[in-house]
Amino acid sequence: MTLAVYCHAQETFPRNGAYDERTGRYAFTNATIVVDPKTTIENATMLIEDGVIRETGKQVKIPAGTVTVDLKGKFIYASLIELDSDYGMPEVRRAQGGGGRQTPQLESNKKGAFGWNQAIQPETDAGTLFTPDSKKAGDLRKIGFGTVLVHSHDGIVRGNGALVTLTDEPANKAMLNSKASAHFSFGKGSSSQTYPSSGMGVVALLRQNYYDADWYAKGGNKKETNLSLEAFNQIKVLPSFFEASDKYSILRADKIGDEFGIQYIIRGGGDEYQRIQEIKASKATLVLPLVFPDAYDVTDPWDAEVVTMSQLKHWELAPRNASEVAKAEIPFALTTAGLRNKADFWKNLRTAIEYGLPKERALAALTTLPASLVKADSKVGSLKSGMLANFIITSGDLFSKDNVIYENWIQGKKFVLTALDAPDIRGTYSLSLNNQPAGKLQITGSPEKPEYKITVQDSIKITPKAMLANALLTLSYQQDKKVGGTTRLTGWLSGNGFSGEGVLPDGTVIPWSAALTEKNTTVAAADTAKPKSKETGPIVYPFVGYGNETLPAKETVLIKNATIWTNEKDGILQNADVIVQNGKIAKVGKGLAAPSGARTIDGTGKHLTSGIIDEHSHIALFSINEGGQSSSAEVRMSDVINPDDINIYRQLAGGVTASHLLHGSANSIGGQSAMIKLKWGASQSEMLIPQVKTIKFALGENVKQSNWGDVQRVRFPQTRMGVEQIYFDHFLRAKEYAASWKSYNANAKKTNIAPPRRDIELDALAEILANERFITCHSYVQSEINMLMHVADSLKFRINTFTHILEGYKLADGMQKRGIGGSTFADWWAYKMEVKEAIPYNAALMYHEGVTVAINSDDAEMARRLNQEAAKTVEYGGVPEEEAWKMVTLNPAKLLHVDDRMGSVKAGKDADLVLWNASPLSVYARPDFTMVEGAIYFDRKKDEEKQKSIAVERERLIQKMLGEKAEGKPTQKPEATKPHMWHCEDVVGIHAEHVDIHAGK
Amino acid sequence: MKRYKLIAGLLLGLTAGAQAQNPAPAKPQTKPVVLTGATIHVGNGEVIQNGAIAFDKGIITQVGPAASVTSPSGAETVDVKGKHIFPGLISLNTTVGLQEIASVRATLDFYEVGEINPHVRALVAYNTDSEVIPTLRGNGILVSQAVPQGGAISGSSSVFYSDGWNWEDAVLKKDDGIWLSWPAFLAGNFDNETFTYSIKRNDKRQEVIDLFKRTFAEAKAYAEIANPSPVNLRLEAMKPLFAGTANLYIRADYAKDIIESIRFAQEAGVKKIVIAGGNESYKVTTFLKENQVPVIINTTHRLPEGVDENVYLPYELPGLLHKAGVKVAITYADEWWRTRNLGFLAGTASGFSGVTSEEALQFVTRNAADIIGAGQQVGTLEKGKQASLLVSDGDILDMRGNMIQAAYIRGGKVNLDDKQKRLYEKYKNKYGKK
Repeated sequence: MTLAVYCHAQETFPRNGAYDERTGRYAFTNATIVVDPKTTIENATMLIEDGVIRETGKQVKIPAGTVTVDLKGKFIYASLIELDSDYGMPEVRRAQGGGGRQTPQLESNKKGAFGWNQAIQPETDAGTLFTPDSKKAGDLRKIGFGTVLVHSHDGIVRGNGALVTLTDEPANKAMLNSKASAHFSFGKGSSSQTYPSSGMGVVALLRQNYYDADWYAKGGNKKETNLSLEAFNQIKVLPSFFEASDKYSILRADKIGDEFGIQYIIRGGGDEYQRIQEIKASKATLVLPLVFPDAYDVTDPWDAEVVTMSQLKHWELAPRNASEVAKAEIPFALTTAGLRNKADFWKNLRTAIEYGLPKERALAALTTLPASLVKADSKVGSLKSGMLANFIITSGDLFSKDNVIYENWIQGKKFVLTALDAPDIRGTYSLSLNNQPAGKLQITGSPEKPEYKITVQDSIKITPKAMLANALLTLSYQQDKKVGGTTRLTGWLSGNGFSGEGVLPDGTVIPWSAALTEKNTTVAAADTAKPKSKETGPIVYPFVGYGNETLPAKETVLIKNATIWTNEKDGILQNADVIVQNGKIAKVGKGLAAPSGARTIDGTGKHLTSGIIDEHSHIALFSINEGGQSSSAEVRMSDVINPDDINIYRQLAGGVTASHLLHGSANSIGGQSAMIKLKWGASQSEMLIPQVKTIKFALGENVKQSNWGDVQRVRFPQTRMGVEQIYFDHFLRAKEYAASWKSYNANAKKTNIAPPRRDIELDALAEILANERFITCHSYVQSEINMLMHVADSLKFRINTFTHILEGYKLADGMQKRGIGGSTFADWWAYKMEVKEAIPYNAALMYHEGVTVAINSDDAEMARRLNQEAAKTVEYGGVPEEEAWKMVTLNPAKLLHVDDRMGSVKAGKDADLVLWNASPLSVYARPDFTMVEGAIYFDRKKDEEKQKSIAVERERLIQKMLGEKAEGKPTQKPEATKPHMWHCEDVVGIHAEHVDIHAGK
Repeated sequence: MKRYKLIAGLLLGLTAGAQAQNPAPAKPQTKPVVLTGATIHVGNGEVIQNGAIAFDKGIITQVGPAASVTSPSGAETVDVKGKHIFPGLISLNTTVGLQEIASVRATLDFYEVGEINPHVRALVAYNTDSEVIPTLRGNGILVSQAVPQGGAISGSSSVFYSDGWNWEDAVLKKDDGIWLSWPAFLAGNFDNETFTYSIKRNDKRQEVIDLFKRTFAEAKAYAEIANPSPVNLRLEAMKPLFAGTANLYIRADYAKDIIESIRFAQEAGVKKIVIAGGNESYKVTTFLKENQVPVIINTTHRLPEGVDENVYLPYELPGLLHKAGVKVAITYADEWWRTRNLGFLAGTASGFSGVTSEEALQFVTRNAADIIGAGQQVGTLEKGKQASLLVSDGDILDMRGNMIQAAYIRGGKVNLDDKQKRLYEKYKNKYGKK
């Protein structure tokens, strides 16, 4: 039933029956009016009419014909605004299946003149889709919301959002702005199309979409009609909201915005405190959820071990997140999104305030700020005259524990949540049934939520079922549970008590009454529990057990009297010294004097080397393979760097200081690699070495999907014959592409010609042709290696490195002639058909032919003992020890074009150094410390201390959780989640029999 | 260049035509052999500098300082001055001989259908012609245990020498034990919807434990019948567990699983129990020691289980058990071709856990032999044991020393050639480096 009363918005609609239009003029007097977070007027009046606030102030003149509501002692706030909601939107069905068990769907299944990718849906119009939903509207009104920004939560580009109120009137009335915002996310939603299948693929797709829309606007529309691009050009100018799920996806989203001059408003995940400085630097306004995990049930000590320190710490720190964001002066709005139970919103918000979130900021985050973000601050968010009459009436301070929201007015229409005029019936009454004394009735609690207790025979306390509405009271109770039988009373407020009629368990109808003996207006029993300490453990970087409160600093160090493997013409120096200053190696020599302020480290009996560089790694990444297409040259691993990966620390403990992070080998042309220094705890950008411009290619069984099961027989190529054609095709297109830009750029006036379509995939390939980006190609058998060398020769591009290259020994002469390096495993073979002729002498044979050889890991485990793997080249083929050592240091530096600053112990190079307790090639060797750019990120002694402090901190948190459990607070089962965005091809790897799970091998 | 010559020397006598197959097995020992002048690592912790070892008819007859060892008449005496002699390495819990190429299903013979398969035997599927076996031998692996995988009870393992014409003459110990996978206390789940991996309590395990209880109770009852009818092949295969003539190998990693499964097996009447895996065995060393249950630790070249765990824990694990008095062996588990690195697992254990390299050597020799019940035949270089030994340029636990110049199995001198060395030779020839 819709009780339409003031339907001014629907003038065009015919009426059924007599017109029922009213002024809706109300005056709320004697209230404390919080006009906006900075303005509160005591004893004030607010006048509304026609759904709009006419005036707010102390001296408001109330015209005749106004309904006046006395709000003495009560408060008025602007009703709250929710920015992330699917209220009134159709349900989104997630894509079925997954796990690579279905035949891949390479093309969009959306019919019509839309774009090519199903996950890009700029044409989705929340304004058209919006249908009011009285149930959901009621739930949100109940917690004080009045206005909601709604959008379809489906896809990477989700179209435009609409700003609606939570009235129960038709959509025409509720909708304030049908095109209020644009929405984005990193999720594919209902798209069943294979591309994109990775985090970096999503970024690339979105970037390309911006470029395509630009091209379309500048002339592309003459070549084709594309409703998606048309829609995108319309919505991209709107306030743009990006749904991110965690701290790193916030940064990732912001980076995309930077490229296109867009400052996204970013929905976070509640862990912003873990990277607050970087997030502040992004300048993004955030939309923060208030989702706090329950304590884990850690009663069983062995059970509890599955829960990681970062989970334990996040449980403790999550309530502090909003406070930390506020403290960092990052603008933010708050959202109920992510709450399983919306009713937890106030509980959690109050907790956040207890943890230091200023109330004023909290109010702004729910009213003025969201209003301005959606450019609706002239309509909603405050109680100034002219604004919509969207407000809530409360019993007191909105954020106080016992606050009651009485009414939520939306566009001048009242929604009652709790009766405003509830009589205060608290007190002690003497109860009589059938005119006989029958005990004592006590009513406590608050006037809005009275609590009832009946005491019979002086000692038996009963909590009756009670209902009070419009001065009518119903009570029912069992006097004696053993005997059973319920006494039912119904009555009404009369004078100082109640009277009415009752029915005894035996059916006797009797009169009853309750006469007030003592009025009691004090608030319910005060919370006698001691206020909980809001102290928390420290925030560590990265946010895992082995993180540090402060990052290791660059030191000035003199390492004395060590055996130094220089990797330079000096060879191995005995009893030599190294001075480290400002992150660089300052001097190498004998008898060096310590510079002032230097710490001296005794290297007697120890071996000092430059840090290990892993030429082929997949650690510290959220995503590995963009396997959706045969070429994904457009994707960048730098978009998915995960500084929290514990493998960074583990590899420092194995002497690794830098890693080349490669795309997987799921397709012929993979993605752009990223090289990082293992600066444990630093930010993504501090770890990245941006000048390393490389790209992953792949050949053989993985790119032709040989071991992926029978459903994967759709994508071209399925043979080594097809692989060759992929390269020819893509590089020919890249040549044409580069030529078209050259000719466009040569036309100085740019008259009468549209710019070529910017294609970020071909950009990367054109960089290869221009010798600005270097190829690392996953390869196994000699036929395919030979093939790619010939393709490169004929198209005049260079292959920098063959990786894996397990049959490199068969073509070492051809590689040497072309200056191609080989980055291989020491001894891997037998795991699939194409490694049948792999031999451990491969590195030695290539080395002896003059190929620059590196030994890599492709594996987080092997990477932490690459020194042992290098030593195997001594065993197999007799590579001299110094040369073997270069295979994990200087040679990878050369292959990555960073040997000017890494790879050897030489004055002027980065101080990436490892002090070993024995020859680094010995199986018995272990690092005493590992230094990156002069800062010690791993230290054996500190590591031992760290293990102890982790144990202490864990126990502190566990005790705190056990305390919560003892208090009866909810707990969750111990469970560890590894939130890696595995790609489905990786999943195939896990499920398919005996296909290794390494991304590359 | 030095290494090129060395390997070339080893391969003298090979005919070019026979390159497609594995080399022929060693001929039985026909005359006594004395190896003299080497550093002998006995395998029980003892090291003999300038030692000699004599063996005849496949059995060690003397071992000691070179001066104390006499040369029997007709003996072939080999001067191995400067070299090191080690017992052959023993590699447990592998699929050697049962698989060839991981991604090619036709080459896989270790994973049978069904949950309760004690009757399936690795013995008869073991392929002595696997091209992998010679590559293991070349790095010192002279004995391997081939183990069925999969199911709740996977089958029976057997132990083989890395040399032989067929499984029948390669076998060292037939049907040495039955392999059982204890359901893990915690289980990992991959959620395809969210692409997340979670680890939580395994709620389905009791079902499997109840199945074990029933199966073992019925098997024990069956074992008491002299001539059972009908014959039940599964229960028949379990008889040796109750007679104490075969091991029960229990795959268990979590501390709870280790204790629970050992208690189960003891109550079921199993005489000889071995834990395989044992990632968390360091937490229950007292229990393991009291119950005299040895542990086969799967590859220690692995990552720690938890993000907060000591980063070196896997490396330290064997040493932690050894120091606590638990008998421990290390293996590469089912990673068959990687087992050639077995010595390096022991080397790493020594480097990171404060046990000497002689102690670590026992993790891959003596302790392994004791666990499979072959301690009287192999595992150390003591008089009366089989002459299964290695002559190496240096420390076989170190990549820079593991250069095996000769190997003897049951006294027979083994051909150390393999496919990979032949390819090496072939391409050295191509490049004119020979």
